[in-house]
Amino acid sequence: MKNTKQNLVGEGVKFERIRRITGYLVGTIDRFNNAKRAEERDRVKHSIDTLKCDKKAV
Amino acid sequence: MKVVKRDGKVVSFNDTKIAIAIRKGFVNSRSATSYTEDDHNKIFTKVIEEINKRYPKDGQVPIEVIQDIIEEELKSLGYVDIYDSFSSYRTRRSESRKAFQNRQHKLMKAIESLSLKTAIEEDSKRDNANVDGNTAMGTMLQYGSTLAREFAKSYIMSPRIASAHDDGEIYIHDMDFMPMGTTTCCQINLDKLFSRGFSTGHGHLRPPKGISTYAALAAIAIQSNQNDQHGGQSIPAFDFYMAPGVLQTFKKMFKQAVKEYIDLLEITKEIDFDKFVKKVDELTTMDVDIKTFKEFYEKDKQLEKSIKKAYDMAIKKTDRETFQAMEAFVHNLNTMHSRAGAQVPFSSINFGTDISYEGRMVIKNYLYALDSGLGKGETPIFPISIFKVKEDINYFEKDPNYDLFKLACKVSAKRLFPNFSFIDSPFNLQYYKKGDPNSEVAYMGCRTRVMGNTANPDKEIATGRGNASFTSINLVRIGIKHGIATNKEPNMEEFYKEVDEKIDLVKDQLLERFKIQCSKKVYNFPFLLGQGLFVDSDGLGPEDDITPVLRNCSLGVGFIGLAECLTALIGSHHGETEEARKLGLEIVSHMRERLDNISKQYKLNFTLLATPAEGLSGKFVAIDRSIYGTMPGITDKEYYTNSYHVPVRYNISATEKIKIEGPYHALTNGGHITYIELDGDTANNLEAFEKIVRCMHDNKIGYGAINHPVDRDPVCGYTGVIGDVCPGCGRHESEGIPVEQVEHFEIRTECASCTK
Repeated sequence: MKNTKQNLVGEGVKFERIRRITGYLVGTIDRFNNAKRAEERDRVKHSIDTLKCDKKAV
Repeated sequence: MKVVKRDGKVVSFNDTKIAIAIRKGFVNSRSATSYTEDDHNKIFTKVIEEINKRYPKDGQVPIEVIQDIIEEELKSLGYVDIYDSFSSYRTRRSESRKAFQNRQHKLMKAIESLSLKTAIEEDSKRDNANVDGNTAMGTMLQYGSTLAREFAKSYIMSPRIASAHDDGEIYIHDMDFMPMGTTTCCQINLDKLFSRGFSTGHGHLRPPKGISTYAALAAIAIQSNQNDQHGGQSIPAFDFYMAPGVLQTFKKMFKQAVKEYIDLLEITKEIDFDKFVKKVDELTTMDVDIKTFKEFYEKDKQLEKSIKKAYDMAIKKTDRETFQAMEAFVHNLNTMHSRAGAQVPFSSINFGTDISYEGRMVIKNYLYALDSGLGKGETPIFPISIFKVKEDINYFEKDPNYDLFKLACKVSAKRLFPNFSFIDSPFNLQYYKKGDPNSEVAYMGCRTRVMGNTANPDKEIATGRGNASFTSINLVRIGIKHGIATNKEPNMEEFYKEVDEKIDLVKDQLLERFKIQCSKKVYNFPFLLGQGLFVDSDGLGPEDDITPVLRNCSLGVGFIGLAECLTALIGSHHGETEEARKLGLEIVSHMRERLDNISKQYKLNFTLLATPAEGLSGKFVAIDRSIYGTMPGITDKEYYTNSYHVPVRYNISATEKIKIEGPYHALTNGGHITYIELDGDTANNLEAFEKIVRCMHDNKIGYGAINHPVDRDPVCGYTGVIGDVCPGCGRHESEGIPVEQVEHFEIRTECASCTK
């Protein structure tokens, strides 16, 4: 009989979440200090509905 | 008789020690010359007499009592001046003893935290996200840093500056490197290094002869210089520096291909190969008409075909080798650890404006390499890649490098890099000279910028320069003290008075540190100064004064929390009201003006910096909360908002944010960055992405980046946005899944090079 347990991969493996904080990218939020983690958590996305630029690409 | 020491230890009575103490009291006083050893002895004898009178032969006398007796005898025998200096010395000694014990206690506590806790438990182990605080060398580094910081505070700095730092009024960045006198960063001129070869300490590296060695040596130069400084390393014009390597590779490939053809076809007699080699060596670009070689194939149709084929093949092979060189470069900079704690060099490269065939080949292949990621498709975190945007070069559709600008947007939408810098913004454009890459603005990835040069107006460039050190001001506290947060009305006069005081304090601190830096010698920085990387450091002898060289550095005065400062002053920040917007600009203009004046006064480069504040983001606010409690919109978060940024949790459109932050770029000549946050879907909308970059350009941003979530599942390799479930293989975080399910998944992310 096939042992399914043996063929499982990825147990305990976390997703990597790359973020930029001061200009540098960091490979995982685990290495951020508490204040930076809080800052990252609080970030809201910026909407682009009203996006206008003055000079056209011509 | 015995003596009881301060720590309670009992030692045998030794009258010599008392004599020496008395002697020291005399000798160290200002009136030392008016007395002789006889005077010393007169006191000594009386002191011994008095001790014997008070204590039995087998008694124990505390050391403090002995000192009291000395003071009494000095006074009663009329040595008033000696008494004064002796007793004041005693008080000072006792204070510094206490201070040291307190510090010692703090120091030991800090070291205990480093040693006994993991990085997850101990916040200070994660001060710098690029140091792995769990590794042996990372912990060793933190021991060293902790000791060096305490040493700097106790022995090097003026007490008023040390206490301003400890009290959270200012923050001295990289204080642990103060005793070593290192400077922060450098924009490395590779052209200069490569033209004559260089030495990293063991053996000389000859000038490189092909793109692979160019790229390899670029990584080595970055790595070597990293050990002479405490900040990052940047390459200001990567494309221009690598382009000659591409041409060399092409020449090699072309000659080789032609040689192989004539060997294979056994037609050596039909062509003067030596002459052909000479002709190829003389080429200044690989973008040539094949007719250039007409003289070699005139007589032979077959030969014409062969040379044309050889040329095409050489171009193709050079292109491939350039890609491989760029790939190796990116891999090297993400894997070569150069400092303790598993730190790779803090590297940055600036590129995008070289319109030569070779330069374009470098830019294109670098972007492709960035796009394809590391060995398992991971997003490279170094080097920080900065694409220089310039009208008439890559900004308009008709521009020669517009295609590469588009490619840069595409790669950035997937990999977060490149960031974008804008040469057309007036404060950058003023230094720009067409055709001179040294005159193009170059940023350190973290945002630091040097261009202007009050100390040396002939060298208003980025190349070969960098920051000496920087210190930040807690703007929020000054706002709280003088704003409506604690007063009925904001008192702007007092506010500016205190801002000026803080700027002057930081100026004094930077000068104090600059003096230490200038006291060093070339042999302290064997690569940076020994190999002539820093501007004007060529030909410096081992004993020469390095001050004239270091004067080209910037001395950065930073700030954090403009948003909270404005809220404390008038109740709203610059994202919210026009009033705050106006006041914010007024405050930062005021700071810049003062620094410009100080620069002129000292003929040095005091620059205003929008502090990166990686380790600092939570430090000031914690102290301020202990003093003022939780104040809404001011101290109610775990961090203060970065420099002049609009608060991260404030809802605002991208255009609006760019428009508000743009003017601050002109004011912060020591460095700046503006971020836009996008969700995954918007980032993938390339048209929108490019529009944001263009909007930054049009609003005179100096340096900007677009943030969006980049997640990766290491199990299946999926890169993109991952919520609770991986879209690639369907597993939850930490969940195990059957291996077949992973194999079924193919990496679906688009490859920039395939859709060229």
